[in-house]
Amino acid sequence: MEVDLVAITLISAVASAAVLLIATLGLAVVFGLMGVINLAHGEFIMLGAYAALLSTRAGLPFWAAIIVAVVLAAAFGAMVELLLIRRLYSRILDTMLATWGLSLVLYQAAVVVFGAVTPGLGFSFSSVNIGAYGISAYLLVLIAVAALLTAALYLLLTRTSYGVLARAAVQDPQMSAAIGIDAARINTATFALGSGLAGFAGAVLLPIVPATPGMGFAFVVKAFLGVVIAGPLALSGTVMAIGVLGALSNITASVWSAVFGDLLFFGATIALLRVFPQGISQSWRMKL
Amino acid sequence: MSDCEVTDLSLPRRKRDALLAHRGFWIALLLVGALAAGASCVDSYLAYVATSWVIFGLLGLSLDLIWGRAGVLSLGQTAFFGIGGYLGSVAAINLAPLTGNTLICSGPVGSLAGACIAGLVGWLIFFGRMGALQATILTYTVTLIIWTSAVSFHATVGAAVIGGDNGLADIPPYVVEFGNMATPLGPNGMLACTILIAGGAYLLSASLMRSPFGLLVDCVRLNAEKTELLGYDTRKIQFLLFVLAGSIAGLAGALFGHWANYLTPSVFSVQEGLLVPIYVLVGGRGTLAGPFVGALLVGGLSFWLGGGVIGGQTTLVMGLGLMLLVLFVEGGVIGAVTSLFAKGNRLRALGTETEGEHRHPSLAALKHIARQDSDGSLEARAIVRRFGGITPVNGVSLTFQRGRVYCLIGPNGAGKSTFLRCCMGSHTLSEGEIMLAGKRATTWRTFERARAGLGVKMQTPQIFDELSVAQNLWVAAYQVERDRRAADRKVAAILSTIGLVARAQFRAGELSHGQQQWLDIGMVLCMSPAVIMLDEPAAGMTAVERAVLASMIRELATSAAVIVVEHDMDFVRSLEAETIVLHQGELFARGSIEELRRNEAVLDIYLGRRRHVRTT
Repeated sequence: MEVDLVAITLISAVASAAVLLIATLGLAVVFGLMGVINLAHGEFIMLGAYAALLSTRAGLPFWAAIIVAVVLAAAFGAMVELLLIRRLYSRILDTMLATWGLSLVLYQAAVVVFGAVTPGLGFSFSSVNIGAYGISAYLLVLIAVAALLTAALYLLLTRTSYGVLARAAVQDPQMSAAIGIDAARINTATFALGSGLAGFAGAVLLPIVPATPGMGFAFVVKAFLGVVIAGPLALSGTVMAIGVLGALSNITASVWSAVFGDLLFFGATIALLRVFPQGISQSWRMKL
Repeated sequence: MSDCEVTDLSLPRRKRDALLAHRGFWIALLLVGALAAGASCVDSYLAYVATSWVIFGLLGLSLDLIWGRAGVLSLGQTAFFGIGGYLGSVAAINLAPLTGNTLICSGPVGSLAGACIAGLVGWLIFFGRMGALQATILTYTVTLIIWTSAVSFHATVGAAVIGGDNGLADIPPYVVEFGNMATPLGPNGMLACTILIAGGAYLLSASLMRSPFGLLVDCVRLNAEKTELLGYDTRKIQFLLFVLAGSIAGLAGALFGHWANYLTPSVFSVQEGLLVPIYVLVGGRGTLAGPFVGALLVGGLSFWLGGGVIGGQTTLVMGLGLMLLVLFVEGGVIGAVTSLFAKGNRLRALGTETEGEHRHPSLAALKHIARQDSDGSLEARAIVRRFGGITPVNGVSLTFQRGRVYCLIGPNGAGKSTFLRCCMGSHTLSEGEIMLAGKRATTWRTFERARAGLGVKMQTPQIFDELSVAQNLWVAAYQVERDRRAADRKVAAILSTIGLVARAQFRAGELSHGQQQWLDIGMVLCMSPAVIMLDEPAAGMTAVERAVLASMIRELATSAAVIVVEHDMDFVRSLEAETIVLHQGELFARGSIEELRRNEAVLDIYLGRRRHVRTT
């Protein structure tokens, strides 16, 4: 096998893991800091994608469209937290059911408003050549985006007072309530953060994943499984799980088919959960 | 209620309960028959549409079993439904020319297929000891993966052609006659036939849930750890129920194939799957009949408002509906109806305290309570348990023998509770061995140790809140006796021993803390344990009760080894026990309580005085 083929396969595997990581971080933050799984996460990504799409159509530059998407998704997330999630604290299965209902509402609303198919943006990105093969430069940009996003989240959750309070609130709710942490406000902020990250994902991935009502489904299987594998350490566990399995399943998918990529991810989840029932990060001694 | 006499307590009541239960069964049977007969009277288009409601009700039943009763939310019931539909239909297409009757081919194949897939998923979930959240995520991703792969799945099996997105066409209709002259059922016959099959599945499930197995399913939902401590393999109980639910979903799928005459991958879609919990929530979760009511209401509503159940804007309405149901509805239609009628039948509310019950406890039942197939010994050989950097149990070797009371004392954080948890198997050992009745039990699971005669009462009383006091005890006794009558007798005896005769039919969750302690102790006694571990049994008890408990423990020690963890030194003294002091995870001192009282070192660690307090 030629060196350039190996190189391009590896680079695209890493890029695909980066894409998946960008799409998963919001879910992981909400799960790690609230213990809640948002089954509508895929549709939050879709919202971000449409927000960015409409903003660029309205003439905004792409970076501004991303900001619009993040702000809108975060605001929507805060609203969902106030109206829905907050009423279901400590009823985790009901939370999943309710967000499942929300996911279908958002999906169907998008079908009604935007139609089942949307024309793409027609972004054109230069491609980078590696030997005989080319790869879109934007994918390389996304690898950097994923790394920066992870670093920024790490700093936000370890260095700011919000991050410290949020981690305290999830580790020991009673104690943190006793010392005066307003868990409800923290949770609204956390859910808004997770939703904002989903909106960011939808916007920043728009050039490679066109906005469609069902685009969320493409990510959620791996995102949910990745978060479950990750376990208690939302950030490092997710980066590890998504990084390794996302890359592996991309290689599998390019050799066989996308379904096999999903199946590999699924099989790996089962195998890992048998060894680490609480997720791979259960015994890691890190902050996050 | 007059059934306060000990021996007569549970039997007449049980008979009456059984009669009541059977009355319910006969009423349900009559109702199914009447509905099936009434199916011939309705308009034939309505009959055709209503058939699908009954099928969806059956699908809802499969979710209600596993979610309402076992507390595991499965979002994968449509996957079992679809697989059952596809495989059942493939069987019907190929075999119907031979048999004539199509249901006899598709029904068994469909339910077997559903059971197999559910068995695979359930095995991963329950034997992998996944949490509730992981289980839900897993079932959801299974559905999504099957949905996406079905779209591109092509196969030809005999005369059946599965064409990816186009699905599987030419599925024969409902035929119940045999031979090659058999004619399909008309819409009314189809509805009647579906009602009979679904009614049969309902009656079967309802009877099963009223059997000891059903009681155990409830126990696992209410308190899985305690159920396992009583000696039940909780994984197996949940797994079996999951397989049953899968087979019912598969059967529903097979019927759906005959009804629709074609299947597409959309049966696996999330839009379809969303409806299943809606049926359950509308009708009433945990009621088993609820999903049928829910499917009827939802189906009927969209029928008379126009538009099918699936597709169109109904997704929007259903999604909103699910959110509102989760937020605001509790108990569903059946819950609302039964709470109107059943007020008189509810378990009695808590009355005034009757302190006198413990004045003359009957300890006779304790004389030979321990099982004889165990020598009543427990041995810890240099056991170590580490959590990260902390070592709460560090090389403890202790032997406990039948015929003695042992007290485990030590300041907070000494490792007493962790030591108990290591013995009962909820913590695996980092090093060392546990021997139970001379056998190496280090790798045994909690329920295996319980079956070998280890009875444990944890620090906080662990009871099944929603069951009655008598049922709590009965579950504990049934594991040992494996016979309803024998378990009944044991419950009656233990009730008088623990002084809860008058409270036998109370909801256990309504008892006071001290009474819950007694109930938990009673459950341990029901297990006929050879080795008994009691973690702070006297907490929350009155002085009279403590005295009773102390004499009870001394009595128990004549046939079993009893290990008591206590903080109350007066209570420890009244036990006349060999006392063992743990300190910082290690064995610190042992002897009678009088000897230890004179031991300066023991006083040092209790009072936190300098000399013996190491800083770690």
